[in-house]
Amino acid sequence: MALPSSGSDLPPALSVESVGRRRFLRWASGASAAISALLVGFPAVAAFLSPGFKRPAKRDWIKVADDVATLDVGTPVKVDFVEASRDAWVESRALRTVWLYTEDGEKFIAYSGTCTHLGCAFSYEKEKDRFVCPCHRGVYEVKTGAVLSGPPPRPLDTLAVKVENGEVHVMFETFRPGIDKKVVA
Amino acid sequence: MKSSPGSGWLERRLQLTAIRRALLDREVPDRLTWWHTLGSATLTVFLVQVVTGVVLATFYAPAPDHAYESIRFLEREVTNGGLLRALHHWGSSAMVVLVLAHMVRVFAMGAYKYPREPNWLLGVGLFLIVLSFGFTGYLLPWDQRAYWATQVGTSIAGTAPLIGGVLTKLLRGGSELGAATLTRFYAFHVLWLPLSLGAIVLLHLAIVIRQGIAPRTQSLEAGAPTRTSDAAYPGYYDSAYAATKRSGVRFWPDIIGKDAIVSLGVVVGLLLMALTVGAPLEAPADPTDASYVPTPEWYFLPFFQLLTLFPGSMESTIAVGVPALLVVALLGLPFFDRGSTRSLRHRPVALTALVVLLGGSALLLGGALRGAQPRVAPETGRELSSMERAGRALFQRQCQSCHVVSGKGGDEGPKLTDIGLHHSSGWMHSFIEDPTRFHRDSKMAAFGPPVLSHQEIEEVARYLGTLQGPPGSHLEPAVADTFPEPAKNGEGGRDTDSTVKAQSNTKRN
Repeated sequence: MALPSSGSDLPPALSVESVGRRRFLRWASGASAAISALLVGFPAVAAFLSPGFKRPAKRDWIKVADDVATLDVGTPVKVDFVEASRDAWVESRALRTVWLYTEDGEKFIAYSGTCTHLGCAFSYEKEKDRFVCPCHRGVYEVKTGAVLSGPPPRPLDTLAVKVENGEVHVMFETFRPGIDKKVVA
Repeated sequence: MKSSPGSGWLERRLQLTAIRRALLDREVPDRLTWWHTLGSATLTVFLVQVVTGVVLATFYAPAPDHAYESIRFLEREVTNGGLLRALHHWGSSAMVVLVLAHMVRVFAMGAYKYPREPNWLLGVGLFLIVLSFGFTGYLLPWDQRAYWATQVGTSIAGTAPLIGGVLTKLLRGGSELGAATLTRFYAFHVLWLPLSLGAIVLLHLAIVIRQGIAPRTQSLEAGAPTRTSDAAYPGYYDSAYAATKRSGVRFWPDIIGKDAIVSLGVVVGLLLMALTVGAPLEAPADPTDASYVPTPEWYFLPFFQLLTLFPGSMESTIAVGVPALLVVALLGLPFFDRGSTRSLRHRPVALTALVVLLGGSALLLGGALRGAQPRVAPETGRELSSMERAGRALFQRQCQSCHVVSGKGGDEGPKLTDIGLHHSSGWMHSFIEDPTRFHRDSKMAAFGPPVLSHQEIEEVARYLGTLQGPPGSHLEPAVADTFPEPAKNGEGGRDTDSTVKAQSNTKRN
């Protein structure tokens, strides 16, 4: 089998021209591979890591009462409402409870409807004008939400509340029960 | 780059130089063509599919209740989500194109002949796996075309004689297309197929390294025995092949350089397609929508078109016979064709077969594309943009229980068959968000967040904008958007006269 014919005495792969060509090919393969990997790798890694940097979705104001005039003054009112929430692509609805309290019909306090002890739903005792949790007898003051007796580690959780055009809106959040600090769950 | 033998911590333990010599410094035939880069380009796209696929799987829920929603979540909420899905979408087409081109190259250069028959067989297996990837991946978005194309695809398998019924049930994971089908396709798409493909690709590459790259055809023809089955052929081949390697061309960087450049071109091309065209996502799968005309992915179209050319009585023969015949022909090729001639020019039968197969497929594909109906929404008679289609799907889910569109829907609210003539999409967005802004007494619920996101409301509004009377009515829009009523305490609720003849916020038609 004859050697491939070439003009020079050296095999073509060892000529000066071919050394330059190889240097270029080395550089070109490294660069091409790196660019290809970056072009696809960067968006992919960014997508994978993106949930770590997403800000939690802003909560919306939820209307809990149509007309302040219908709410009692000096007595807490229990309001149940359905909160629609999105967990990634899963839409879910949860029944939430808040207690609205006002002394003048203008300024409202909104308490989250769950006991700060272990998350049971508490109720209002009309005779003694206080909130009582049936699970472990936690007792709260209505005006301030302060713990009067029982195991709750912190006062009732208040929620942001605003009155607009006679409607009451709250910013509903859930907090971790069982600890002495109010921490969003 | 070069490390002398014995130096270095890893080198002393692993003797990497020996591996490097065997893999990278090995001599290869000279004057290899650019056509020789198709295999590595396919491998590159496979890697792109792995990387993008891993991210897609991270955000995907393989259940009919959530599959579509999770894809929409990926597209809208995940950084680069839409881009990665589009890359994966175009990557799948690129895989098929490149595998086919690679096979045509090997066929045209007679590279499936002695001694490369085993690698040709593996290659045929890889080709079938790539097609299976396409078929299983098509279902995963669980949109209309996914559902209906798979319905048809699995039904075709059912026409097979004897085993048809079992085969369809096996593919669907039951007698009906549904949840079990989706998990089945998902498991195949992300576990079975990638593992088999990965394993066979490794074997395929190992054999290329072991046997060396197939040289140009001429180097193996001069003075060759006429049959590869001739006892003298292996001896002839060994010396002829050794001669092609004498010019000192090395795998690294001479071959890899070319491969890397072509691969970069392919990646850039994919990225451009992903950025400019994107990946389609139709309305969610609706098993009750019998009016939907399914189309398979383009590379299955020639086969679908072929089925339409034959009477129904022959369908099962064609549907099963043609693919089976093709596979048998591909597998049998290296054993059937023992001629030692490798140039396509001197193989008239092979040349004819190739031209007939490729030309026939191209004609069928062309026919299928020309005959394809533009997918129009029946109530508007026009093709909807992806945003309008998404709005249509939302409308059917959220609004149709109260509103009629072209004869379908509830009668709680006004008919919306020609709402697009009377209101702009912008107005409808505002109205849907909170109807009491415009009519204090409106019985319609507010669909603003959190019921629907603004994006979703916009989709519905865009869709409503397309509703301009029954198809073919060509009515002129006379948009009459009202301003929101002033928020007054006390009596309100009358229709204001603040009506504007809007400059008909023209929407793209």
